[in-house]
Amino acid sequence: MPHDAPNLLPLPFDWDLFPPGSEGDNPKLGRAPEVIDLLPMPTALTHPRFEQQLEASAREPRMLTQAPWTRGFGKLEMTVTTEGWKFPAPPPELDRPPNRPKQKDAEDVAEPKPIDLTVDPIGTTAKKRIRTAPTADMVLVKDRLLYLLQPPLDGLFDGRQLEVPFEPFPYQLEGIAFLMPRHAALLADEMGLGKTAQAILALRLLFHQGVVRSALIVTPKPLVHNWCRELKMWAPDLPFEVFPTEPEMRRTTWKVSNCPLKLINYESLTRDADFAADPGIYFDVVVLDEAQRIKNKDSKTAQVVRSVNRGRSWALTGTPIENHADDLVNLFAFIDPGRVPPDTPVRLLAQLTSDCILRRTKDLVQSDMPAKIMRDLELELTPAQQAAYLRAETDGVIQLNELGETLTVQHVFHLVMRLKQICNFDPATGESAKLVQLLSDMEEVVASGRKAIVFSQWVEPLLVIAKALERYNPLQYHGRIPQNERTPILDRFRDDPDAHVLLMSYGSGSVGLNLQFTNYVFLFDRWWNPAVEDQAINRAHRIGQRHPVTVTRFISENTIEQRIASILEAKRKVFTDLLSAADKPANRGLSEEEVFGLFDIAARPKRAAG
Amino acid sequence: MIDNLEMSPAKPTESTALPIPLPPAGPTAFTIGFLTLLSDPSGVVGGYLLTNAWGRPLEFRMSTAVQPNRVQQILYGPTLTEYLHTDLIGKTLIEKTALAPALLVTDSVHALALRSRMNVPTLVIDATESVGLIKLSHARASVALAYSSRFASDRAAIEERLERVDPAVDLAEPFTRIREAVVEARKMGVTTRAA
Repeated sequence: MPHDAPNLLPLPFDWDLFPPGSEGDNPKLGRAPEVIDLLPMPTALTHPRFEQQLEASAREPRMLTQAPWTRGFGKLEMTVTTEGWKFPAPPPELDRPPNRPKQKDAEDVAEPKPIDLTVDPIGTTAKKRIRTAPTADMVLVKDRLLYLLQPPLDGLFDGRQLEVPFEPFPYQLEGIAFLMPRHAALLADEMGLGKTAQAILALRLLFHQGVVRSALIVTPKPLVHNWCRELKMWAPDLPFEVFPTEPEMRRTTWKVSNCPLKLINYESLTRDADFAADPGIYFDVVVLDEAQRIKNKDSKTAQVVRSVNRGRSWALTGTPIENHADDLVNLFAFIDPGRVPPDTPVRLLAQLTSDCILRRTKDLVQSDMPAKIMRDLELELTPAQQAAYLRAETDGVIQLNELGETLTVQHVFHLVMRLKQICNFDPATGESAKLVQLLSDMEEVVASGRKAIVFSQWVEPLLVIAKALERYNPLQYHGRIPQNERTPILDRFRDDPDAHVLLMSYGSGSVGLNLQFTNYVFLFDRWWNPAVEDQAINRAHRIGQRHPVTVTRFISENTIEQRIASILEAKRKVFTDLLSAADKPANRGLSEEEVFGLFDIAARPKRAAG
Repeated sequence: MIDNLEMSPAKPTESTALPIPLPPAGPTAFTIGFLTLLSDPSGVVGGYLLTNAWGRPLEFRMSTAVQPNRVQQILYGPTLTEYLHTDLIGKTLIEKTALAPALLVTDSVHALALRSRMNVPTLVIDATESVGLIKLSHARASVALAYSSRFASDRAAIEERLERVDPAVDLAEPFTRIREAVVEARKMGVTTRAA
């Protein structure tokens, strides 16, 4: 190292290790390093010189720059990394100020909420909010965050942000929160709890989020009008289009129309099977109303519905199991193909499907709904009816027994129908214990300014009743009323204060109609399946109903009606159990064996007997 | 870098800020940024949610946890929290987000210094301190709002922007969502990935 190098840095050096007189050597450290002067030395001064050039040793500098000689401070600069997600934006057509009642808005601006500065920070004292949550099978972080970051639903529909006719009930908000994140969902609320409104509001919010851009609603034909009305009510900012009747125009709707929301009835959809399965036609959501229509998986309707290309599959039905657990399995063939294999044991059904099913009964949400009062009226037949009934039953049973092995369930049905008709009216005199009671009850209904619906299995009794109740301006809604006349009849029933009674057949009037301005329901005769009866009752006992609903079920004492009623009541319990636990389901209507058991018949068809 | 952190929240003198640009029209074009800073044993984590005027999420971004070591704590001294909340985490989150906020709301009074780093009206919710803050009550928040007294002239812009927020929105509410989202994302391993 040159002696006069001016720019060398001084190295830290411990002179104690090399005391004077040690001649530069230390037994531990070896040779002492040369002292380096930073300033040029005056030439007059003498200074020691090494005999040979010093060579740098790798060991020494390393030793001097490492602990314990020096200690690093570590990194002084702090860094951070971030990760982010972008969510879909609402489509431009929805980018406008939300509709809201002006009065409420004005109140908000004029009178700001008082702020308590001592209030606990958010979260600890805040009321429980109803929010969407990711589903268990949602795997992408972005999808999970999208639903976690949505604003609470209870703040959206209080009339300040979105226009709604009235604020949905809390259980309905929970239904919307259930539907929104789900690609496979079965909303199986009991009839009358507002499944339609929940589905519409969930769709509306998904459209607003930009998550959904096209949707198809499939509904029974008589309910299309009802859906249109509900859509206008619950989603006035959502444009929709109904598939026309003419095939050529339907083709345009399938192929050309850009309308985001389309409505089609099951019959038209089945006829348009080719369009439905067209790979070029896709819907972000398909909603099946009264989804029990596809409970038979081999039916043409079910096949076509399953063939629609879609992102989300929602099914709405109050009776997901009408007859057998297979009904539910077949519904899931649409809702989430593959989730429930065809031969799944019944005990596993609840486990496989529970995440996709939401069912609430009126009992659960009783606080939100006026009461439903069930009144089973057991009536004694009139003497003429009694005589006719006994004669018909005795003769009928004799005839059945005579049939021997040729007896079929149809023969028994025939007798049951005959007896039920006698329970309604005596065929010879027209006497009817039920009609007498109905006339008496109707006086009370009219006196209180209320309206009533009377259901029957047949049209003929309705015609007789119409005549008997003429002074109450009865309206009729059944299979003999042309389709285009039906909606005006319902409108008149709602609007005309003098029209106090609507006579309906189960077949025409039990599904989907909203008649919540009615407070009395009479079941003049009983249907075979409690699910159908429930549907009928719930035309009146549904969301929007402000008063208790009284349901009167006429049952003729000591007759076939009473026997059927007790069997059906037992079955009703089984249905409830199935949806709440993995219990063994059973047929909700009457099985063949049960039909034979209605009478004291010795004969049995060969198959049944075996 | 540390010089920049010298911010005295109590200074009565007003900063000379640039005129705040007007936000775009339309409820979905109007954006609100919600910034939260959470502390846990792993450090300070930032969560930032950008919503439209209806409170619906447009973007979400979160940071890794920052844990200052002992030397950093000594060197940064009392400016450490503000540096973390404002310059290191808050500013990074906002700048990395694609959409810019028309109004920024935070639950950390230390992050209020962001106002001096960007030309966006900034509010803090539920601040317990009062020095250097101007309190504001508004129907859009269930808790007290405040903004920096150094930017007293922001009041008009803040009020104009608050009027653009949908009446159903409570400015205190989205912080609950952000916290849940941060927890969820960390559960899904996002922190590890971002680190």
